[in-house]
Amino acid sequence: MELLRMGHDAWGRLVLQGISWDLLPVAAAIGAIVILGHLVYRRIRRHPEHRG
Amino acid sequence: MSAVPADAAGGVTTGGREPAGVLRHAGIDRLFHWLTAVSVLVLMGTALLPIMGVRFDWVPIHWPAGLVLLVLVVFHIVRSMVWRKLRSIGFSVAELRAGHIGKYSVAQKLMHHAMGLMVLGAVITGVLMLKRIKTPFLTRDPYIFGSHTWGVVYVIHGLAALAAVTLVMIHIYFAIIPENRMYLRAMIRGWITREEQRSRLDANDWLEKKT
Repeated sequence: MELLRMGHDAWGRLVLQGISWDLLPVAAAIGAIVILGHLVYRRIRRHPEHRG
Repeated sequence: MSAVPADAAGGVTTGGREPAGVLRHAGIDRLFHWLTAVSVLVLMGTALLPIMGVRFDWVPIHWPAGLVLLVLVVFHIVRSMVWRKLRSIGFSVAELRAGHIGKYSVAQKLMHHAMGLMVLGAVITGVLMLKRIKTPFLTRDPYIFGSHTWGVVYVIHGLAALAAVTLVMIHIYFAIIPENRMYLRAMIRGWITREEQRSRLDANDWLEKKT
């Protein structure tokens, strides 16, 4: 997975073009992990008998 | 905007009977919040949908929405520095130990600061990027920066866009879960009951000032 988008300018030099949009699903996944983590935390906290 | 009038101490009444709660968000702050929400969602939609394959002429929608966000950010900063206590967004040692003190919890302040950083990064780089497109008020000049500097500007703008995806997901989730509905209602109608505020924030300096 690329982190950055690279390209070439008019002189053929390698230039930075921005962040790689391959990271878009990663950003969404981080949000989903936080939400799922909190849902699990809520469930454990509401039902103390589930605590290991 | 508030359906419930506030009394002199910031308390709110229902139908002229005894105080039902306190005003948590003034009308101007609620308006700021929802206008910011709309502009951020428009900016995210116009930026990210084309990346996901939805083709449309997004630039003429994106940059005006960005200018709206810029105006809102300037308004918020000025209002926070002139009419509000800027130090209220900081963290005290007591609050970090207790977790909850005052009007906002540590988690709520962290979310505000993360959102603020994301929005500032997007707006500042977005204003610079206006020089690369035709607008009615700026002369297009993509040569104000070299290609390397433009690359850095685009990386910061892109990082802000990615952060927006994560933060908006988390923000909406915590706004709609049942135990936080009072905060959502406060952001819509303005008020929160004293019991609701006490239930989440034990040593509540803010609530005591309201009485």
